[in-house]
Amino acid sequence: MSHTRNSRRDFLNKLSLLAASGGAAALMPQLRMMNTALASTSSLTGYKALVCVYLNGGNDSWNMLVPFDSNGSNLRFDIYAAARSGVYDPAANSGGLGLALPTGSNIALQKVIDGNDASSATNQYFLHPSFTTPYLTQTPLSTLYTQGHLAFAVNVGTLTKPIVMTDYNSSAANRPPQLFSHSDQTSQWHQGNTSASSAVGWGGLCAENLQAQGANLTTDPKLALAISLAGANRFEVGSGSVPYQMSSNGLTSLSGVCNPTCTVGATSSGRDAALNSMLGETYANDFAGEYNAVLQRGRNLYNLIGPNLPPASNTYVPATAFPPNNSLASQLKTVATMIKLSKAKGYATRQIYFVQLGGFDLHSGLMSGGGNHASLLTQVGQALGAFWTSLGPTDVNAQNEVTAFTVSDFARTLQSNGSGSDHGWGGLQMVLGGAVNGGKLYANGGGPISGFPNQSLGGSGSPAPNNFSRGQMIPGIGVEQYAATLAQWMGVSATDCNTIFPNLHNFTSKNLGFV
Amino acid sequence: MNTSSKIIPALLLVALAAPTALASVHDHIYANGFDIPADAPASKAEASRFLTQATFGPNQTDITRLMAVGYNEWIEEQLGMRATLGEPTVEAVVNARIAGAQNTGQTQRLNRWFWQATYAPDQLRQRMAYALSQIFVVSDQSSMINGDVVPMTAYGDLLATDAFGIYRTLLSDVTYNPTMGKYLNAFRNLKPSATTSPDENYAREVMQLFSVGLIKLNKDHSPLLVGGLTVPTYDQNVITHTAKVFTGLTYSDAPIGTGANFSGANFYGGSLTFAGQYNPMQCWGTELFPYSNGNMRHDITGDDGTLHTDKTVLGGAIIPSGQDCDLDLGDEMDIIAAHPNIAPFISSQLIQRFVTSNPSPAYIQRVATVFDNSTGDLGDVLKAILTDSEARNPPAAGTLSETDSYGKLREPILRLTAMWRAFNAVAPAADIYGEIGMTGNTGFLTAYGQGPLESPTVFNFYTPDYQQPGVFSTNNLNSPELQILNESTLYSSINSYYNFTANSYVGISPLPTTPRPMIDLTTLTANVGTPALMVATINANMLYGTMSSSMQSALSNMIQFGLNGATANEKAWSLIYVTMLSPEYAAQR
Repeated sequence: MSHTRNSRRDFLNKLSLLAASGGAAALMPQLRMMNTALASTSSLTGYKALVCVYLNGGNDSWNMLVPFDSNGSNLRFDIYAAARSGVYDPAANSGGLGLALPTGSNIALQKVIDGNDASSATNQYFLHPSFTTPYLTQTPLSTLYTQGHLAFAVNVGTLTKPIVMTDYNSSAANRPPQLFSHSDQTSQWHQGNTSASSAVGWGGLCAENLQAQGANLTTDPKLALAISLAGANRFEVGSGSVPYQMSSNGLTSLSGVCNPTCTVGATSSGRDAALNSMLGETYANDFAGEYNAVLQRGRNLYNLIGPNLPPASNTYVPATAFPPNNSLASQLKTVATMIKLSKAKGYATRQIYFVQLGGFDLHSGLMSGGGNHASLLTQVGQALGAFWTSLGPTDVNAQNEVTAFTVSDFARTLQSNGSGSDHGWGGLQMVLGGAVNGGKLYANGGGPISGFPNQSLGGSGSPAPNNFSRGQMIPGIGVEQYAATLAQWMGVSATDCNTIFPNLHNFTSKNLGFV
Repeated sequence: MNTSSKIIPALLLVALAAPTALASVHDHIYANGFDIPADAPASKAEASRFLTQATFGPNQTDITRLMAVGYNEWIEEQLGMRATLGEPTVEAVVNARIAGAQNTGQTQRLNRWFWQATYAPDQLRQRMAYALSQIFVVSDQSSMINGDVVPMTAYGDLLATDAFGIYRTLLSDVTYNPTMGKYLNAFRNLKPSATTSPDENYAREVMQLFSVGLIKLNKDHSPLLVGGLTVPTYDQNVITHTAKVFTGLTYSDAPIGTGANFSGANFYGGSLTFAGQYNPMQCWGTELFPYSNGNMRHDITGDDGTLHTDKTVLGGAIIPSGQDCDLDLGDEMDIIAAHPNIAPFISSQLIQRFVTSNPSPAYIQRVATVFDNSTGDLGDVLKAILTDSEARNPPAAGTLSETDSYGKLREPILRLTAMWRAFNAVAPAADIYGEIGMTGNTGFLTAYGQGPLESPTVFNFYTPDYQQPGVFSTNNLNSPELQILNESTLYSSINSYYNFTANSYVGISPLPTTPRPMIDLTTLTANVGTPALMVATINANMLYGTMSSSMQSALSNMIQFGLNGATANEKAWSLIYVTMLSPEYAAQR
């Protein structure tokens, strides 16, 4: 092999330098901030957490919020319904199922107004019916919107700069690379860099930026500012840091060894000594070395937080009931637990969490069948509703300190493929929290495409809408604008946002103002 | 070499079972005494290392055989073995359980899968099928096929059967398979209507993941650059056209009706038997129905809804309008399989599954050349991968002054099966439904981050170019398996290993409540008075003789001091268990 490369030892040396400077480098290496060291006083005030809710597979978000006009013409709804190949009706859709939501009997519960649009002709919408059905008596998302805690960002997608259809057609350089590919589009969303493939994500970079501002307060072992409840993800990877990954099943101890203390004379202490001896070695092979590092980190952090979490302890588990059989809810319950624990123990003043729900790649069975879109959105709505409730003043008490936001690979084609929809581009995202300026749609990023988009399928209408023949929307708001808004709320400066988001300078609005 | 006479019966058995191998086996035994083949492994350790790459873990049978016949012949024997199949067994178990009013589910498939991985003689083929299942992904995590226990088993059999055939055959069989069809939506995909377009899912993923990837490649897998820029292999227009190729497919036993009016035809029918659910899909094109008939579901037009428009697919190739469905599909398979990306794209991923996460460009190019020269003969390709000098002669293990990114992280599942095979795990007896319990009710995907045909998405458990932050990303090195290694899965997989060692050995009392293989500790307990010999057995059986002296000391101390007074069995399983946790076992060099 002929790789020109830095050696593991170089890397470890850098880490030990950091450790000598007082950082817990073995747990959260901070290569970028070697010179920044660790601020003894923090410029950050209070506690804040971001929760990235990744809807894996490409959420058909144009069915989360549907334009609706009560002035009798219903023009925008009719355009939407036609683009979606008709209103869903299994009895009548003989040529392939239509995907438009019907205006059903619950429409009064679903109706919402865009607080950012004063025009009664264009400011009415209805939410997906799943968002009106909370778990138990908790507040549904529809009400959270009306109360001003939930906002929608409209027609957000990967963009390196603002473009319209003619720009798209004139040069491939005007487009983000590999549109419509799950892996690439997800990476771009997670990177916060929509022009190139990168190993790092904006959540991880923001964590490092906040770390340099003194967000991490505890002594060793330090809990990473970025915590994943859903495995490896690019979003939380920094240039020199990785997220702490945990499951929503609590922290189970290791069998057959000591956790963390040994019973004198027990055979587990014999195995523990052998294990610790092996973990204390340095390994020339990168794979052995990295395995060793992860196991060591897991052991250290188990010893730090394990005794405070289920199954060892329920002290920090919120009292709020979370819906059962809902993976997203289980993850968010653990997030609420970790927020409560972290605040109580002073682990950090800023945290970035990652949770996800899969199953959104609904090329078929979008409207019916197991795992259909309505059932997924019910899980999302009930999980977020329970999370919001758990953060309330009588429980975790952090509603104003926590902002949850959705991301997804892409939205989907408006047009039906007969039973589902295919890969699209720009779509809707939700932002929830006490700090959110909600009850509004955020559809203006300062670019040439703004407002809730014309949903006529591309190729028809005049002027031609900025979408393609199957209703794949050219975004009006870039991912980097959306992400930078959230980063700034956390305390990342506008200047630093221009570094973390390399294409942000191409956009007029660098803060959309929804939080 | 001390060639034990014990191997003679094994050789004779193989000779009887495999007539094609008779001559050479005969030569080895009788021509010149016990010849050492020219390409025999130099040591038992080298044989074990090879078998760690090529099988679900070295055991004494394969080590003995490999040392007797050498690499080439061992591989040839394995290439010639028929596939051990899962479907007949799983179908019988499922039927028996249904007759006995018992639930059926993926547990039945997984029990059989782990049995084959651990005990099937066609180890190379089974291991290749497992590697292919991480490229041609279907998953029980999809609600579309979660209930299809028997058809999913048959899909695994398809991969095993085609494992050493021609790539194009595999691609075609996968494309026509109804389980894949349901997973990626080619199943019952419809030609365009006035308001709808064909589903694009299979069209996209068959190119992005199963064949050519997103950008044009050189034969050594480096990106082909034009003016310093990568070149996309296809665009959205190609996807839209290719989606039309994969229309009209449905169950093989969907009734096509009778008479001039095709009375009783039902595109949505069929699935009446297990065979109907797993046999290759039929296509309802003009070969079955006139163009004007409503049952003609395949799109024979191009993109403008008229009858006589060609489909422009990968590389700008044209599929003519008006063809039968099977002709369209055949053309599409030919066009994809002829693409120059296939050889590096597939070869590189296979090298990663068997040998190393970061093969040199020259290694990939050598294998890809075999791929092309053999028209995509996957048996030839695998042989080239395993016998390449970069596989057989790893760089020196190195000191700390030297960097070492050779090899790969062992997959968590392979860490388990290798342990079972190293210690001759005894499978439990079949239950009254004919099922042999292997999983101990383990939820592998949650506990290990992976499970056979259980990927969370079509992108497998990990991607070929995943780079763990830190030393890997800093040096632009891939580390696919590290994508599923984290604080959480490490703890849960380790606790599962504990369950499969401390609670699962021959002679344990009381017996575990759920059936699982019981490991045989006698090769360790026989030497309970001599810790160094016990450690030597661990070193040979699990680490092909590569255990560091410090690890040997740690284990030896554990036996002598930490476990002083413990039973022989506890000393034995503790050695295995702690080794399974060790960084040295986690890495495969």
